[in-house]
Amino acid sequence: MKNYYLGVDVGSVSTNIVLLDEEENVIIKKYLRTQGKPLVILQNGLREIKNEIGDFKVKGVGTTGSGRHLASIILGADIVKNEITSHAIAALNYVPNVKTVLEIGGQDSKIIILKDGIVTDFAMNTVCAAGTGSFLDRQAARLGVEINDFGKLALKSKNPVRIAGRCAVFAESDMIHKQQLGHNQEDIILGLCQALVRNYLNNIGKGKDIQGPIVFQGGVAANEGIKQSFKQALNTEIYVPKHHDVMGAIGAGILAKEEVKSKGKTNFKGIDITDIEYKVRGFECNDCANMCEVVEITSDDKVIARYGDKCGKWTDSINTNDEKLA
Amino acid sequence: MTYKVGIPQGLLFYDYYPLWKEFLNELGTEVILSKKTNKTILDQGVSNCVDEACLPVKVFHGHVCDLKDKVDYLFIPKFVSIYKKEFICPKFLGLPEMVKNTIEDLPPIIDIEINLRKSNLNLLKAVIKTGQYFTSNLSKIAMAYNKALKHYERYLDLINQGIVPIEAVKMYNLSLKRNKSFNQNNLNIMILGHSYNLYDEHISMNLIKKLQSQDINVLTPEMIDTDQINQHSSRLPKRMFWSFGRKIIGSAFSAIEEKSIHGIIYVSSFGCGIDSILIDLVERKARENSIPFTLLTLDEHTGEAGVNTRVEAFIDMIRWRGKDESNISTHG
Repeated sequence: MKNYYLGVDVGSVSTNIVLLDEEENVIIKKYLRTQGKPLVILQNGLREIKNEIGDFKVKGVGTTGSGRHLASIILGADIVKNEITSHAIAALNYVPNVKTVLEIGGQDSKIIILKDGIVTDFAMNTVCAAGTGSFLDRQAARLGVEINDFGKLALKSKNPVRIAGRCAVFAESDMIHKQQLGHNQEDIILGLCQALVRNYLNNIGKGKDIQGPIVFQGGVAANEGIKQSFKQALNTEIYVPKHHDVMGAIGAGILAKEEVKSKGKTNFKGIDITDIEYKVRGFECNDCANMCEVVEITSDDKVIARYGDKCGKWTDSINTNDEKLA
Repeated sequence: MTYKVGIPQGLLFYDYYPLWKEFLNELGTEVILSKKTNKTILDQGVSNCVDEACLPVKVFHGHVCDLKDKVDYLFIPKFVSIYKKEFICPKFLGLPEMVKNTIEDLPPIIDIEINLRKSNLNLLKAVIKTGQYFTSNLSKIAMAYNKALKHYERYLDLINQGIVPIEAVKMYNLSLKRNKSFNQNNLNIMILGHSYNLYDEHISMNLIKKLQSQDINVLTPEMIDTDQINQHSSRLPKRMFWSFGRKIIGSAFSAIEEKSIHGIIYVSSFGCGIDSILIDLVERKARENSIPFTLLTLDEHTGEAGVNTRVEAFIDMIRWRGKDESNISTHG
């Protein structure tokens, strides 16, 4: 039976799963839409992998993304890492001398500056999601264009129009105005790509020392129009890795390998977790004015995790239960 | 009859609470505090405040709502200036008016103006006017204020020793001697921002405790010596006429130049006008001195994932930078 490392990135828009071998080659990857049901999608993804490549042994598990703690509870992760570190590690694996990582995901975008293989600076978008994948998703829907065709259409443009990119609402009114003036769709689409890049560089990239080699990753890296706009704006070559859409998961897998190497064993709960039915329930605790939204995960009427409370009352109660059971 | 005076736990609370409380107690009143910021207070604040205000001002309105039916007076002084030739944020200047005009059925508000822009004598006037709400005996007022000042000095002392105001406010009138020295092996992280954002555990999502639980020494502007602050802030090409700005810039520059910190986390509430300038000044200075800097922008969000990820990544980065490259086998 083959030995693999499992890397999982549970993001706002996509849940990504990869299996890596000892040489950190990607054996199989899954890019699935989270659709607000991370647990089910995660289980489905693992089941698909099992069906496609047969039985395998998991030597280590790493999780990342905004749902990393949830995934870790279900899988029994060896390491739970934030997206910045995971993305940086994955980029270093493909381009060892990388100096800048541009990453644009569904709800957040980041820039990571590296020096001699070490993260020296980074920034993430602040309160609003302008300059991220969901901005493009929204605009594509408004234009009636499939997001997958967005990039190809952008490249056809000869004369992009200028669109305000600071805010999705401004962009919409600007876009409609340009449509009314009679500009064609390609020019508007490339205009949107340039608006997003301008927003990214002025907001997240503000004051950052952007030097080549530059790696562009995250779901939005699939969009040729954005890549083209970055290339133009930064006036350098932009490298998009083959597995750009699952780089976070690859990073988590690599980190898991390192962790297991030093720890000697894995916490993985076994591939059978795909067959367990998990129930997730949220409730508002009314014991104090904080009214925390507590999430509870159960399987077979047994509570396996609770979190979301500020005071730790619910989180702690599950730990003591565990001790009693053991 | 003992009057009940309500003090909202917001805005300048962590800057002056011991002084206000002891002064009001000495005058023979009972001080009632609003609850710590929680979701209900936040919700009430947001729905009882003008939309354009920043989060801490909204939260303050929530605290007023929490208190208004429990007290005879509300203590909301009108802060115009607390330092010669300086101002504080315009939202403080209009705070009593803002509260009066948006929240109904309020008890009388003690809204004495505190304006030291031209002369410190105005402070004395403000003290007397406040005291006159409860007594006409001037020497009683003076004595009460002097006693309160002693307590307040002890509070400031504790903070100078590196005790976070959240803790210091609980222990300033205990006669405990606590010399809290920083653990030399820990990372030193400076948290910058306005006191009402940093020390409100709900607004800041418990950032200080989160860091301390990861073996990190937390340094805040309040812990830096005032002389140091003034000395460093005076080096700006143009005088910083915002009191908050002087404190944040001065404390940040002093810590950066002494190389006593490993990183800076700036906590800012969305839409803060003063911060928009301060953040940039601090970030440039930090960059010049190769000190990692990150910004957390806070608003009404209650999901902590975003803040946690940024803080975790920031600490990871600092620890990673601290190690030799040979220690990390990132290339497999």
